[in-house]
Amino acid sequence: MEIRSEKDLEKISSEYRNKIYYPDAVKINIGMASCGIAAGARLSYEKAKNEFSDSKEALICQTGCLGFCEEEPLVEVVGQGRPRVIFRHIKEDKIIDAVTGYIKGDLNKKWVLGQMRDPRCLLEDSIENPAAEVEPFEGIPFLEDMPFYKNQTKIALRNCGYIDPDSIEEYIARTGYLAFVKALSNGNSSDIINIIKESGLRGRGGGGFPTGVKWATCAGHKGDRYIICNADEGDPGAYMDRSILEGDPHSVIEGMLIAAFAIGSGHGFIYVRNEYPLAVRRLNTAIGQAESCGLLGDNIAGTDFSFHIKISTGAGAFVCGESTALMASLEGNIGRPRAKYVHTVEKGFRQSPSNLNNVETYANVPAIMLKGPEWYAAMGTDHSKGTKVFSLVGKIENTGLVEVPMGISLNDIVFKIGGGVPKNKKFKAVQTGGPSGGCIPEKFMDLSVDYQKLAEVGSIMGSGGMIVMDQDTCMVDVARYFMDFLKEESCGQCSPCREGIKQVLDILTGICEGNGKEGDIELLEELGNMIRKFSLCGLGTSAPNPVLTTILYFRDEYEAHIRDKKCPAGVCKNLFHYEIDEETCTGCTLCAKQCPKEAITGEKKKPHKLDQERCIKCGICYENCRFNAIVIK
Amino acid sequence: MINFKLNGKEVQGEEGQYILEVAKKYGVEIPTLCNHSSLEPAGMCRLCTVELFDGRKTRFVTACNYPVWEGMEVNTDTEAVHQGRKLIVELLLARCPDAPVIKELAQKYGIETPRFKSGDSDCILCGLCVRMCEERMGVSAISLAGRGVDMRVETPFRIKTDACQVCGACESVCPAGCIDILEIAKYEPRPILSEWDEGLQERKPVYIPFPQAVPLAAVIDSEACVHVNTGNCGICRDVCEAGAIDFGQEEEIIEVKVGSIILATGYDLMDPTPMKQFGYGEYPNVFTSLEFERLSNATGPTGGRILVRDREGSFTRTPKSVAILHCIGSRDVNYHEYCSRVCCMYALKYSHLIKEKCGHDTAVYDFYIDQRCYGKGYEEFYKRCQEEGTTFIRGKVAEITDQAIKPEETGKLIAVAEDTLLGSTLRVPVDMVILCSAIEARKDAVDVGRIFGVNLGADGFFLEEHPKLGPLNTATDGVFLAGTCQSPKDIPDTVAQASGAAAKALSLATRGIVEVPSTISYIDPDICTGCQVCIGLCPYSAIEFDERRWVSVINEAVCKGCGSCSGFCPSGAAQVRHFNKKQLFAELEGVIDAIHWVSM
Repeated sequence: MEIRSEKDLEKISSEYRNKIYYPDAVKINIGMASCGIAAGARLSYEKAKNEFSDSKEALICQTGCLGFCEEEPLVEVVGQGRPRVIFRHIKEDKIIDAVTGYIKGDLNKKWVLGQMRDPRCLLEDSIENPAAEVEPFEGIPFLEDMPFYKNQTKIALRNCGYIDPDSIEEYIARTGYLAFVKALSNGNSSDIINIIKESGLRGRGGGGFPTGVKWATCAGHKGDRYIICNADEGDPGAYMDRSILEGDPHSVIEGMLIAAFAIGSGHGFIYVRNEYPLAVRRLNTAIGQAESCGLLGDNIAGTDFSFHIKISTGAGAFVCGESTALMASLEGNIGRPRAKYVHTVEKGFRQSPSNLNNVETYANVPAIMLKGPEWYAAMGTDHSKGTKVFSLVGKIENTGLVEVPMGISLNDIVFKIGGGVPKNKKFKAVQTGGPSGGCIPEKFMDLSVDYQKLAEVGSIMGSGGMIVMDQDTCMVDVARYFMDFLKEESCGQCSPCREGIKQVLDILTGICEGNGKEGDIELLEELGNMIRKFSLCGLGTSAPNPVLTTILYFRDEYEAHIRDKKCPAGVCKNLFHYEIDEETCTGCTLCAKQCPKEAITGEKKKPHKLDQERCIKCGICYENCRFNAIVIK
Repeated sequence: MINFKLNGKEVQGEEGQYILEVAKKYGVEIPTLCNHSSLEPAGMCRLCTVELFDGRKTRFVTACNYPVWEGMEVNTDTEAVHQGRKLIVELLLARCPDAPVIKELAQKYGIETPRFKSGDSDCILCGLCVRMCEERMGVSAISLAGRGVDMRVETPFRIKTDACQVCGACESVCPAGCIDILEIAKYEPRPILSEWDEGLQERKPVYIPFPQAVPLAAVIDSEACVHVNTGNCGICRDVCEAGAIDFGQEEEIIEVKVGSIILATGYDLMDPTPMKQFGYGEYPNVFTSLEFERLSNATGPTGGRILVRDREGSFTRTPKSVAILHCIGSRDVNYHEYCSRVCCMYALKYSHLIKEKCGHDTAVYDFYIDQRCYGKGYEEFYKRCQEEGTTFIRGKVAEITDQAIKPEETGKLIAVAEDTLLGSTLRVPVDMVILCSAIEARKDAVDVGRIFGVNLGADGFFLEEHPKLGPLNTATDGVFLAGTCQSPKDIPDTVAQASGAAAKALSLATRGIVEVPSTISYIDPDICTGCQVCIGLCPYSAIEFDERRWVSVINEAVCKGCGSCSGFCPSGAAQVRHFNKKQLFAELEGVIDAIHWVSM
């Protein structure tokens, strides 16, 4: 199947569009990204496969991640003139019933997340809504109206969860490779760079450097130019890139192809974490498919343009996400950053001009090429255009992957999309940008999210991790946690970062253990400011952010730890104890039953007592008391 | 040329230069720990961080690796920079509280004790050793292993590695002095011993042969040089401001045409190792006379202090007693029967020097066979040494041992000897033993003699033409002898002989002509078949071979007319002038005729 022109694409597209939107049999798409598999999707898949292997009325397929991690495993069923229905929590015990229910037209409403009115991706304005004629189920909510999806705009994630990542045809059916083939036939590389420049797309890896400018500078330097994709996603709690690679690997390949054609490069590398085996496998499959279609390799589509992609797997160093360290690692050296006074677009991988972009950046490129820069630039704020994918984790109702337009407020993300903090607890802060980001307190929740605004409050966009914290999170402990992470993950080359982080961690540990003393906060600030200014690479210069922002916004918590020897959130074990509020306690005995040390005693319906000697502060009673009678003192 | 502002002053730098280099040129001091002129800057210690104003905003950059550009403004010592550096030094002091280089810096910044928890590391992680090994030596036997706080300098798999070429560059570049090559290299390091210092100390592969060398220039030991052997390193070439290092230089043979030659090739000192009884090589404090000369010399390994080795082999102790042993290998039927002539006098000099330098209470024992103090002022010096308190013992030492049998002998060397004047045996415990080794002919004297047509005597020294009438001449005209290549002699004798030899050479040169005796050989080129037998026979190397004409040719200036060639020449081409065949036969005929006449 050689693809040489738009016509070839259209041929595949028209054939497979039917298979996606109007399948003859009932098509069952099981969300098989890592998140789904972890929740049990593979077992469901095997079960369904066995059950329906001989059946002509059901077709079992896999797909990527729909983003709603809280509800995994998600199963999408479509066919027989019925609307698309997304089932949630479909483990192996439910899969058969869910599918047969759908076939019979009798849905178990508890299992249904919602139905979909318009399954097209936003690049498919040209085709009619294939579901327009379909009669929706009654009493089933529409996905498009659910707050989680309603406030999202999916560009980078446009195909995740809708197509089979192992099928290039399905990608093509959703306008895949059209942008590249068009660009190739136009043949003008500077046009492409201008489109990207005008779109205002900025690097989604965290730095936020304008992508078009980067491409233009790289194209301006002579030598063997390289296109590199940074898929070394290392932030704790962030998995945007993994989802894209697992759900839509071709969009990244297409983005790299367009970049390669625009810049004039013949070789590309995808540097991906070895901890993402599924992503690596799907990328390999996708590259193989693209090669067999003639979209990768020598003389693509009969032109002079040749491009090859190799996958290189990282060995798990967080710092290898830094561009120069990544290139050092790619060269086979130890992954350590170097000073970037000479930029990598001039001298990068193998001392050649190298263009490094993040997975999400590349995934955005085909959409911008198809819909035009104005469309993209219309979204977002003055300096930050388009959308950004965030992984919403922590103390939040709707854990998941969300793609929102730039400029949306933190409130909207956390409360509208995320559904707020569970168990009626009080929201405290949101941490953005991974270990190098900062903690943003409640007072800034109206902040519209873009690169500048986040920097103004002392945090960063980062790659898009967003960790929500509630009243039970100790901010000193959070800072300590991130410093502990960075202590291991700093490359260790430069003394401010290596020695500084170690001492910051020492002081924080001291504070958490109740050994904090007057002057510690000032010393932390002094160290933080020095590390920020004097470190070699981006990891070092942003490493103190968690400490500095928590001191800035939660200084009272630090002071409580140091002066009163109290941890208000009840996390630092040396600095608090639980007590039972006799007035609130109803004597339900739940706590006494669950206490592993039998430290709680009391008669039924009478206030219980807690033996402080025996209590190990495990927090089980606190978590389980329905009357908030266990209090932190 | 790039113009920019450095601390408010207009300065100029070259394209591609870093801030640090330009600052150095203008005398602006910027502290660094990880910078080295022979290595690429790495920006690891961050101490050289400076403030840079690029026209829009102020940034912090490291001076060591930030290239200068037109119009930038650099401030090297603002308050923020100073505070940051101070904190880095404090952090490093917490890491390495005992590293002298950090302690010194801390003192400069006024830090007494760091506010942080102290570690116990010696390594400041400047990475110089690792970069030196990789960048300049091309080896990478060590690298910075581990991440974050676990980072350390390590060999592969933390075992002694055979990748290490034992060059010691890492050790020499380490500012904290915490690298031990024994922990890195699989093989034992072999120190390069200084020839000039008689192996008493080490030297580098690039060195100035000796303090007053002519020309006073460094040489490279090509056997030890990393660059010559592997193509790496080459640091000397980078740092030599005169650009005088040329690795392309090789040994060359120079042909010089001269009228006369003076041989002054000197002597070798006999190696006393085979004489096991004296313990040379076995006991560290048994020295040869030349080794003692280096110890006593102001430019020697001890800076002129006479010291003996301690248990570790370092020169630290002043000897309290010294034995000087005469006639080691000379006047000895087993080695050399001749007297080395100079030993008695230098032994006296040593005893005098030891008394002077180590104190007059130092006991010096001089074991002699005969004190040969001939010559002007020599006997007087002997008297003086006697008065200074040197103990002269007539008798040759039988053995040097460290086997103590008396308490005062423990830890000392014992000279076992017979005092032939008293007829009693002695055991003398001493701290130091000096062996007055024999002067002997150079090991290559045979080869040199062959080249210059000079014969060797039974003792191995060059043979003069006549011991009384021709002490400067050799069997080959125009080749003269001077100094100890002819026989053992002291400096005054050598100077006298050399002056004579020079006068001989000059007398030939001033005349410009050489008188050749009439009765010398002649080879008739018409008859000579080019068999070259005569060339091997000629004792004066007077016959050369003319390749073009394929005949042997007599060098008339050298030929003595001995007739060896003419007697053997198979074709009869070689003849001695005035004694050729025709003349001889005519003479014989005349004689026979006369006999006839007489008998008739």
